[in-house]
Amino acid sequence: MSIFEYNGSALVAMVGKNCFAIASDRRLGVQLQTIATDFQRIFKIHDKLFLGLSGLGSDTQTLHQRLVFRHKLYQLREERDMKPETFASLVSAVLYEKRFGPYFCQPVIAGLGDDDKPFICTMDSIGAKELAKDFVVAGTASESLYGACESMFKPDMEADELFETISQALLSSVDRDCLSGWGGHVYVVTPTEVTERTLKGRMD
Amino acid sequence: MKRIDFSGLESPASFCGADSDLCESFLRTPSFQLPDTLDFDGFQKEAIQMVKPIGVITTLAFIFKEGVIVAADSRASMGGYISSQSVKKIIEINPHMLGTMAGGAADCQFWHRNLGIKGPGLYYVDSEGGRLKGNRFSVGSGSPYAYGVLDSGYRYDMSIEEAAELARRSIYHATFRDGASGGTASVYYVGPDGWKKLSGDDVGELHYKYYPVGPAVVEQEMAEISIA
Repeated sequence: MSIFEYNGSALVAMVGKNCFAIASDRRLGVQLQTIATDFQRIFKIHDKLFLGLSGLGSDTQTLHQRLVFRHKLYQLREERDMKPETFASLVSAVLYEKRFGPYFCQPVIAGLGDDDKPFICTMDSIGAKELAKDFVVAGTASESLYGACESMFKPDMEADELFETISQALLSSVDRDCLSGWGGHVYVVTPTEVTERTLKGRMD
Repeated sequence: MKRIDFSGLESPASFCGADSDLCESFLRTPSFQLPDTLDFDGFQKEAIQMVKPIGVITTLAFIFKEGVIVAADSRASMGGYISSQSVKKIIEINPHMLGTMAGGAADCQFWHRNLGIKGPGLYYVDSEGGRLKGNRFSVGSGSPYAYGVLDSGYRYDMSIEEAAELARRSIYHATFRDGASGGTASVYYVGPDGWKKLSGDDVGELHYKYYPVGPAVVEQEMAEISIA
C-alpha cells in the first residue's frame, strides 16, 4: 500500500451555473482499520475559496496550516482576499518547494473568481496544476470518481441539482473503495451563500 | 512428473475389484500435477501472493447450547478496490454442513470436498494444512473486531435469537472498523435438523438501526434583532 493510500480519502469538486460544489468523504484510517468517521478534509480559506486536501492525514493538516498562514499575511498586506487563481499558484509553489521531499497530498482548489466565475483545479503532490471546466477528483477513490462524474455531470447546473449530482457521484464511488467513505461532507457555494451538508452514507 | 499423493484422504478403492475397466478412474490415487519448475517454493510463494489479496474479510462461527451459529460479511476486495459486495462466503455443502470462506475461493472449495467432518462440530481449516477443532472462531481481516464483540457477549446458554443477534452485531462491528469487510451480514443456524439461514442484513442499514441519527442538537441560534 502506497503512502497516499495510508489514510484513505476521496475528494471531488464540480462547477455549476455561477456556483461550485466541493465534497469529501469523512474517514480517517490506518490502512484497513478505521480510526475516525468525522475527519475534515475541506477547509475554508475565505468565503469564496475552499481547499480540499487528500492523501496523508498529517500532511493535509500541516499544509492547511501553512497555507492559511500565507493567506492571512496576504490579507494583511493587500487588504483583500486572494483570488482563486492566485491561491492555486501559491499552493503549486509551496508544493514544488519540497520537490525532493514532498508533502504526500493532492489538493483540490475551488473558488469563485472575478465576476463570481467558478474556478476549480487540482494538482499532484509536487504542484503540477490541472485546470478543468467541469470537475476535478482526488484521493484513493479517484478512478471510480472519474467514472461517476463523467457519466453524471451536466454543464450549467443550478445549486440544488449540483448538490444532488456531486453527492451521488461521491457516494457511489466511495462504495467501491475500501479506504474511503463512512459518510460525506458537501459544500455548495454561490455568490450569496455557502451551504454545508453532511451526507449519510454506508458505514462499511 | 512429480505428483502430490492424497491417498491418505481417500478410503481404499478396493471395492471395485472385478470391473477394472469401469473403476480405473476410481482406483487411480487422486493427485494434482505439480508445475515443472526449477524453484518450486518460489513459484508457490508467487501463486499465493497472487491469490491472497482477494481473501480479506470477516467470518465467524460459535457453538452454543442450541447448536452452531455461522456468520459472514460479503465483501471481496482487491487491494483498495471493492470487487464485489455480494460474495457468498457461507457455502451450503449439504443440509447438515456449512463452510465459510476466508481466502482464495478455489482453495476453500477443495478443502470442503475433502474434510471428512465427523459429528456435530466446528473446525477451522487453513491453506497451510492447519486444522483445529474448537467452540469459537473468527477468521479474516475483520476478525479482531468481531472477536471483541463476540467474546464479551458470548454465553453458552443463549437462545437462538440472542445468538443470532450476537453474531450479527459482531459482523456489523467488524464491517464498521475494517475497510476490507462490508456488504451484507449473513447469519446461519445449524441445529440437529440441519442448517437454516436466519438473516441477511445490509450492513449499511444495520448501522442506522444500531446508531440512529437523531435531530441535530442546536447549540446556538442566531436571532433576528429588529432595529427600531
